[in-house]
Amino acid sequence: MTALRRHRKLSAIWASEPGWKGWTSSVNHTDLGRMFLVTAFFFFLVGGLLAMLIRAQLATPDSAFVDAGAFSQFFTMHGTIMMFLFAIPTFEGLAIYLLPKMLGTRDLAFPRLTAYGYWCYAFGGLMLLVALVFGIAPNGGWFMYPPLTGPLYSPGINTDFWLIGITFVEISAICAAVEFTVSILKYRAPGMSLDKMPIFAWYALVTSLMILTGFPPLILGSILLEVERAFGLPFFQADLGGDSLLWQHLFWLFGHPEVYIIFLPAAGVISTVIPVMARTTLLGYGWIVASAVALAFLSFGLWVHHMFTTGIPQMGLAFFSAASTLVAVPTGVQIFAWIGTLWKGRPELHLPMLHILGFFVTFVIGGLTGVMVAVVPFDWQAHDTAFITAHLHYVLFGGFVFPILAGIYYWLPLVTGRRRFFRLGEMAFALIFLGFHGTFLAMHWVGLLGQRRRIETYDAETGWGAINFVSSLSSFVMAIGLAMVLIDVAIHALIAVRGRRNPWGAGSLEWASMSPPPAYNFASLPEVTSREPLHGDPGLPNRLARGEGYLGTPRDGRRETMTVDIASGRPEGIVIYPGNTRLPIMMAAVTGLFFLSILLKLFWLTPFALAGIAALALVWVWQLGDRADQRLQDAGRGAVLPLAGETDRAPGWWGSVFLLVANATFFGSLLFGYAFLWTVAPGWPPPEWLPPSMAELGIGAGSAIGAALAMRLAILRNRRSETPVPFLALALAATLATALTFGMLILRLPPPDGHAYAATLLILGAYVMLHALLAGLMQAFLIVRARRGFISPRRRAELPIVLLWSDYVAAVAALSLLAAHLPGFLV
Amino acid sequence: MRDVLRILLPPLVWLASFSAIYGLHGVGCVLLWPEVAMPVMSLFRWLLLLAWLAAVLVQVGLLLALRSERFRSDSPFIRWTSTAMSWVGLIATLWTLYPVAVLAPCAAG
Repeated sequence: MTALRRHRKLSAIWASEPGWKGWTSSVNHTDLGRMFLVTAFFFFLVGGLLAMLIRAQLATPDSAFVDAGAFSQFFTMHGTIMMFLFAIPTFEGLAIYLLPKMLGTRDLAFPRLTAYGYWCYAFGGLMLLVALVFGIAPNGGWFMYPPLTGPLYSPGINTDFWLIGITFVEISAICAAVEFTVSILKYRAPGMSLDKMPIFAWYALVTSLMILTGFPPLILGSILLEVERAFGLPFFQADLGGDSLLWQHLFWLFGHPEVYIIFLPAAGVISTVIPVMARTTLLGYGWIVASAVALAFLSFGLWVHHMFTTGIPQMGLAFFSAASTLVAVPTGVQIFAWIGTLWKGRPELHLPMLHILGFFVTFVIGGLTGVMVAVVPFDWQAHDTAFITAHLHYVLFGGFVFPILAGIYYWLPLVTGRRRFFRLGEMAFALIFLGFHGTFLAMHWVGLLGQRRRIETYDAETGWGAINFVSSLSSFVMAIGLAMVLIDVAIHALIAVRGRRNPWGAGSLEWASMSPPPAYNFASLPEVTSREPLHGDPGLPNRLARGEGYLGTPRDGRRETMTVDIASGRPEGIVIYPGNTRLPIMMAAVTGLFFLSILLKLFWLTPFALAGIAALALVWVWQLGDRADQRLQDAGRGAVLPLAGETDRAPGWWGSVFLLVANATFFGSLLFGYAFLWTVAPGWPPPEWLPPSMAELGIGAGSAIGAALAMRLAILRNRRSETPVPFLALALAATLATALTFGMLILRLPPPDGHAYAATLLILGAYVMLHALLAGLMQAFLIVRARRGFISPRRRAELPIVLLWSDYVAAVAALSLLAAHLPGFLV
Repeated sequence: MRDVLRILLPPLVWLASFSAIYGLHGVGCVLLWPEVAMPVMSLFRWLLLLAWLAAVLVQVGLLLALRSERFRSDSPFIRWTSTAMSWVGLIATLWTLYPVAVLAPCAAG
């Protein structure tokens, strides 16, 4: 088969529907990566516009450009949009677009999940945008502290838009994180062991694991605050056993790692771009990997440094102050590795390199002011002033926007297949750099003079007028620069001349595909033997196009790729992807209906939306699998492999593992909240404890553990070629008994609106009941699948997945029963 | 997956011990443990120091284990990275928890 004929055949298999309809049904990572990036930059425009309005208001003293109410909405939405609708989705978009190409595979692990994540992001973002347009946008600051955002002081719908909209958008981040983790660990080119992985993939892996463990505390906090606002359960009300500091703990457990969730992907871009610009290899690959992992973990030990002024004992403050200074070390290691890479190479000052230099200057200053505010006495002075706002902009703009602009200019020739011919980008960089530093150096200064953050105006007597005017003027210079970047990119994408493949002479695999890349990425999959395959083997792209790699022969219209062993990259299995479908957009729409029903208090609609989600989820999984054994398949180059559905550890199993990691973090945060309120909150002990019940403990824990055991027996029977249905039915009955037990527990609780104790137990009980029902649904699904012939001793992948969920239910049920009954026994 | 765990385990243990000792500190202050006298120092200071020591010993144990023939990875890269992460875990445990030895436990911040 000629390369052209292979290309046509593969394109027919992998192509999205033509025209705009294709946007709604595409599950291809190249399409969805582009859609993510375009949407994220649209939100960047909106967030930037809000920033201009803020700076226009603050340019002069006693300004009446906007009133205090609108100003509150502007700064809240500016922060919210930039954090949740621009920075994280930009990482998602970039990684969705690039990872499969860099890893030498044809798509991400779960293409439909990619699409579902995109639509959740788009619909959630739209929800917040609508609120902004109608003047009912969130107005409590991007970190939404209660009691200001509680029902007493923020009775309108504004705060609900934030709590519900952001939770909706976070589904997208969790989906992407699961997707990236499984893809990086399992979907690589054969031979690509962990030490041969592109450095960007390491950063994406670390960031994804951080999202899985960093976002759940915020999701929990948002749910608790929304439940307090909607139903009066007092989690954050001090007079009823709640504590507003609980919100701060939950928020910053997410919020501080979030800074590194934003920085690390950008660091991945820097580590990729610098060696290419310096025409050398990355210095200290292992040191950089270790630093990224260290940074990720240390960032979870810093959250209290946002709470230095809340009256926490000195020793507690010192723990977090020490951790905050320590985090500078792995950051410094990376900076030195990058400088060392430049030193050992022969750097060329192309446009991406200009933005990298902008990053160095800006981020190092931001890091140094970060060490300043890590020192408690200084933080007490600077807390809640414009100095902090300026510091965070140095870190986030320096540590994210400059590197992302470098990345955009670096990968633009790959995305478009064209080359730049104007010098607009260089002028834009100069304006952005000068404008940024003019804006935020001035803001540091005025903050040290005492200007509070978030004030809508100030008196002329303060003497801050001239500094603010310089800051505002500079911000408009920066905005003009950023607008020029967008124009430059648009010109490049639409009318620039065709360019050659791999114009930078890079060694990573994304440059081995055509520019712009086809839907299938590679006509055949490469065998990787080094970290920079194109440098060692310049003829690789042509050989892959000729089908000389793995899976080079298109067959049966199937979208195929391979999975590998995590550590060694040894080929393990063949995956068949689903084709184009509108299921993800429908599922996201129904998920949106669920969130809208809560937002608009249309509670009659909620069960219908939940039923809709469950029904669509069943259709989603029903489409997978076969009714006949497929046995071993030829993967090319002499490799004969099983299909993923005929293994014990299918991609769905790995996806479930990492989803459960996020889920367990959510559950752990809930237990932390319970312990925090019990030990720290005023108004404890509660007027009434839950009466302990040995029967409830025994039945609840026994049934949950029994379900997990029955699942194991079902797997054993299936392995012996006997029907697993009887034990699946037993597992289902036991799981339903668990759900029923927790239903009874909820009914026995003291009134949940009377004290935070009962309110917390209600959430705990509801959490386990929901998970038991979910596991029950999966077991019922398996029974039907087994009866319809989808399960055999070879086609066994679905059973271990449901076992995982059953085990999880057993663990959380036992722990929750203990947490609920222990106080009653002790008292 | 074992190789990934070899890299993640030391900092994970640091995070767990850091959170546990912060939690112990909170509980001790609420339950007025600093007022319970013991030889040399208060019960609370003993508890905090012992917890810190235990955390340090676990990190040392991990460092030794991940360098031992029985538990180390076959891949030189993973071996190097997991050793580096063990040092990170140990240094982080020493540095972030040293306040238990030098500061008044429950003095207001």
